[in-house]
Amino acid sequence: MGETTTALQASLDRLLDSPGVTGVALVDAVTGLTYGVAGDTAEAGDGSEASELAALIAERLGAAGAEGELESVVTTSTKRQQVLFTVGRPAGDPLLLSAGLDRDRANVALALRSLGDRAGEVLA
Amino acid sequence: MTAPEARNVPALLLGLREEGFSGTVRVSGHPGGTIHLRNGLVGAVETPGAPTVTSALLTSGRIGDEDWLAACAAEPDADRLGGHLVAAGLIGAAEREVVCAAAVFDGAFAMALSPPGSWELSDREPALLAEPGVEPRQLTEETSRRMALLARSGGAPSELTRVRPAAVASSGPRRPGGLARRHQDVLDHVNGRRTPRDIAFALGRGLYAVLLDLIRLEALNLVRWDVKAAPDSRPSTAPRAAGADSPAAAAAPKVVPLPKRRPGGGFPGHDGGLRGG
Repeated sequence: MGETTTALQASLDRLLDSPGVTGVALVDAVTGLTYGVAGDTAEAGDGSEASELAALIAERLGAAGAEGELESVVTTSTKRQQVLFTVGRPAGDPLLLSAGLDRDRANVALALRSLGDRAGEVLA
Repeated sequence: MTAPEARNVPALLLGLREEGFSGTVRVSGHPGGTIHLRNGLVGAVETPGAPTVTSALLTSGRIGDEDWLAACAAEPDADRLGGHLVAAGLIGAAEREVVCAAAVFDGAFAMALSPPGSWELSDREPALLAEPGVEPRQLTEETSRRMALLARSGGAPSELTRVRPAAVASSGPRRPGGLARRHQDVLDHVNGRRTPRDIAFALGRGLYAVLLDLIRLEALNLVRWDVKAAPDSRPSTAPRAAGADSPAAAAAPKVVPLPKRRPGGGFPGHDGGLRGG
């Protein structure tokens, strides 16, 4: 949005401390609007694509009989992982934390655990 | 100031951004609206076509009415109200940014659904602001993206906002396990009379988000609508009234003139009864 460091920007910047995280973005899960980005923008992923992917997967899971809301999506390639976490909020449309991970720089399992635990702190 | 000579609102905002303008742009039209600028950045967009930040926070229950009134009393300057809400612990600073930014983009989208009329600039007016504000170019690009996506998904965006979706009666159980909660909420508010704007206000959600959810529900064959049923050419911003070609009007009984009193008492059609009495 603007150039001043905001509370949201500071929250996203802190997530870059997680090992292996190359970029993060907070995205509106319904509209695809990107509220903030930290690190490598390309690694964080495109907001509209992330929201469409999450919506498609949630719909397919629902059609298959799954109950409850989508929590996360992990896409893995030989070098990278793209992760989407649903960010809980007291009211309002759901948000997605989109993150890119470098598999050579971190234990991916630990990085995913760390990001998942901290996703809820983004809106603090 | 060259900005008022701009050919359209996006160009106007870009010009005002270069000037670092702080003030208000009133745009006439249907629905029209008010754009609040601070240092050239868009801090708030208020339009009858979409819920404001206040609507989003209160209708969704994110902030209770009493807490809101207390906050407004403690901080009468709307420009600083957002900071006060955070300081009072009613909302997180980052969440406030999200809510305010979402309202800016949604308001701009709603205003873009029909051609704007004229505009005029005025001094700064207090408003609950997204801080530091949204770049006009980003606002224009996002609005264009939304229009294009809707055009691909469900037809002309301006027509989509005028439909009055109805639940599909034969859809059976509403798949409580398979529907997201927000989809179920939208479905619960669909009744064949409400427009997407009505539903957005009822839920305290963005107009664009509600439109996307309605398109999704239609794809699942849970709602339907007829675009041709809308009689006018703009989003609904007026009090609800059944259109001439609406189902309600079609089902209305034949109009019968009111009975007239006759000299000597009695009503036509009731004479026999009166005579009999």
